[in-house]
Amino acid sequence: MNELAIGTNDLAKTYAGFHAVCGIDLNVPRGTIYGFLGRNGAGKTTTIKMLMGLARPSAGSAHVLEMDVSTKRIAILQRTAFVSEKKTLYPSLTPAELVRFSRGFYPTWSDHAVERYAQLFEIPMKQKFDKLSNGNQTKVFLLLALCQGADLLVLDEPTTALDPVSVDQLLHVLAEDALDRGCTVFFSSHQLEEVEQIAEYVGILDHGKLLMEARLDDIKSEFRLITAAGNSLPAQTSPQILSVDVEGDFHRYVVTKDADAFAAGLAGNGATITNIASLNLREIFLHLVRKETPCISGNVGATPVPLQ
Amino acid sequence: MYLWKCWRDTRSFAVVFMVMAAAVMPVTAAIGVGTTLLEKGFAKGIFISTLVFMLFVVALGLGAIGAIQEFTDKTAHFLFTKPRPRFYFVWIGWVVGCTEILAIALVNVLVGGITLAHYGKIPFGSVVFDLIKKQDVAPILIDALFIYSLTYSLTAVLRNGLKGLGASMGSLAILQALAVAIRMRWNVNVPLPPQPIGSLSQAISNLVWMLVALLLVFSAQLVVERVEI
Repeated sequence: MNELAIGTNDLAKTYAGFHAVCGIDLNVPRGTIYGFLGRNGAGKTTTIKMLMGLARPSAGSAHVLEMDVSTKRIAILQRTAFVSEKKTLYPSLTPAELVRFSRGFYPTWSDHAVERYAQLFEIPMKQKFDKLSNGNQTKVFLLLALCQGADLLVLDEPTTALDPVSVDQLLHVLAEDALDRGCTVFFSSHQLEEVEQIAEYVGILDHGKLLMEARLDDIKSEFRLITAAGNSLPAQTSPQILSVDVEGDFHRYVVTKDADAFAAGLAGNGATITNIASLNLREIFLHLVRKETPCISGNVGATPVPLQ
Repeated sequence: MYLWKCWRDTRSFAVVFMVMAAAVMPVTAAIGVGTTLLEKGFAKGIFISTLVFMLFVVALGLGAIGAIQEFTDKTAHFLFTKPRPRFYFVWIGWVVGCTEILAIALVNVLVGGITLAHYGKIPFGSVVFDLIKKQDVAPILIDALFIYSLTYSLTAVLRNGLKGLGASMGSLAILQALAVAIRMRWNVNVPLPPQPIGSLSQAISNLVWMLVALLLVFSAQLVVERVEI
């Protein structure tokens, strides 16, 4: 396994009895792009806040660039660029002034990158931040993050308010420039197509639980939706069975590996296999988040698939 | 970096009061020319009272607008993910406001001193020396720094300039009322900044009040360090 850029162990966050994050084990390998998926309120932003030292974990631990977030916050922030879900910056400052403000915090800051990305994203550098369009405000945030020369980019819904051209430019920058520098990109999104376009790994979070963590190539090559009809078929999830949907005699399984062997096993138990289909990320996402029951017990463990 | 940003946030306010500090004594003196008020110490009285009033307003204003604006602007997630400890931001903001208060006071004292010297026909040096020797200026400054620190701390803790300003003014009023009530009820003199504390000299008391002001900022630091964004 690669070294981890982000690793969490049973990480949990509770707000006044509400379990926002329920004991998740994230494994984000270095030098990769990791898409962190989930519906609204799934716990993505809370997880990211804990990684960035903006919120304290209620339980568990988290390491960023192999440093403990609770004790090495400053060292982590020195090497991490962060784009928040809220794209608000000082309203009276221009992008040029925001660059001037941010530059001094980072020894690895690149003015060359400022020029390049300001031109690429067509950012009006002399206009006050609050006078910029929402899309341009998001671009300024991204510009400040990309120019830090960070080892890890943590982006919370980075494509908010961006037009399709800008989204494409950003994805290109992340996939080409960031990875070329050996930078790890960890980004949350609702846009499955964007994630599928550039991510190497994905994690799916729902109701605070990590439902799945896998390599995107594995999803394409290994994950299968098996539809079987029969009685007394297994209805429990396991590392191999990501989800089970039962309707009468029909069982629909999302399996993570060895689909043919699994189907043969079902057939051996008297089931009739009606279909074996490959899945894309969108289908997996929908299967997972529509089935899981909410986390109500607090420290419910996720069932992550080990990274290969 | 953050120092520059704090100065940028408060510079309009500070510059306006600096201009007022520079103008108040020459204007007052110009109006008083031809009367005997200048010779009778009226000008010095005006000088002291304008300094008190101006620094009171400046302390409240800077405390309310200078403290961790990020909470009001909803940019705390941006600032607090910069690789600096949070106490850095708390103290830098405080230092900038403190410097501005001192600069405004300095301008007022210098221009006021020149004006008094000019119209009173006495050497400038002796006017300023007289102000310092009689402890006219130092307690006013200490009072201003205390009020500023109180407002700054409450603004940082309450995460809102208006709330901080209101809480600060309320606290000052309550402190005064309590002191009066205790004196009247038990005949005990409760010192408030910048009054001398017990039998301590004014200079030592000033130092103690300064420490109290710093403690207020330190407590705000502790709160800001614990805040979850």
